[in-house]
Amino acid sequence: MKDCVRYAPMLGAREGELTEEEQHALDLHLQGCAGCRATAAELAALDGLVGESLMARANARDFAPFVDEVMARVGAPGLAPARGRRGFLGWFRTHPRAALASLVPFVAAVALVVYVRLERGGESGPMASLEIATEGEVTMVLQTSDGPVVLLDDGEHS
Amino acid sequence: MIRTLFAATLCTFLALVAALPTAAHAEVPVRVRVIKGSRQGPAKVDPRLEDLRRQLSPLAYVRWEQVSEHRMDLERGRTQFVELPDGDSAALTLQERHGDTVTFEVALTSRNTQSRLTVQKGQRIVHQVTGEKKGEALFLTVNAWP
Repeated sequence: MKDCVRYAPMLGAREGELTEEEQHALDLHLQGCAGCRATAAELAALDGLVGESLMARANARDFAPFVDEVMARVGAPGLAPARGRRGFLGWFRTHPRAALASLVPFVAAVALVVYVRLERGGESGPMASLEIATEGEVTMVLQTSDGPVVLLDDGEHS
Repeated sequence: MIRTLFAATLCTFLALVAALPTAAHAEVPVRVRVIKGSRQGPAKVDPRLEDLRRQLSPLAYVRWEQVSEHRMDLERGRTQFVELPDGDSAALTLQERHGDTVTFEVALTSRNTQSRLTVQKGQRIVHQVTGEKKGEALFLTVNAWP
């Protein structure tokens, strides 16, 4: 009886779960213990029934359309392609900070373009007057509509 | 992150493209002519100076002829020299450029003279570059974007 208690947990062990020594000791015990042999037989029968039941249920299921169903779900609108469907604006909604950061150089570029355009536009008008700065012996500057005429000092005549 | 970098790169590129025309206009093509005015003789204007007739008419010189002509591209701050018949030279420098308006500096080392003149596109500078000798004097005329 003491041995039966010891070997009872081993009766339901599956192949490979017991060491070689344990398996050998269990076999020796089963040869001399009818009760444990009966228990082992019941467990083996039950295990077989469970296995057959599971196999039967698995076989009853039709896996043929499994791949098609998975592919249909992967390719179904609203799942994976959702990112593409949302488009660039969708990305902006999901990444507001990144979108804001990306707008900074864009705004800077627009500001630069506007600045350059305004500068050019402001210069296109007629000049109110000519800026003339002279040093040295320039004595006379005539301003004409065609441009300035600079005349040198008469004192240099030779 | 990649999209952010892409957007930043794209915007930088656009900014550069927008700025390129400004950089491309850094050089100003000019037409420089050395002309001689004389008080003596019958009034006559070299046909090549016909475009200067109105500008020259107020002067006391009545006879005008073109001595030489040079075409060059002036860069800001870079001085170019124009040889004069008397062996002297006039230094021409582009000081500033704002759109169609340019400021030139005409320097005559022999006379220690520097003139800063601002003109618009279509206008010309007429600058006396030598003193009058025997009723004759040399002038330099500069025309931007001829």
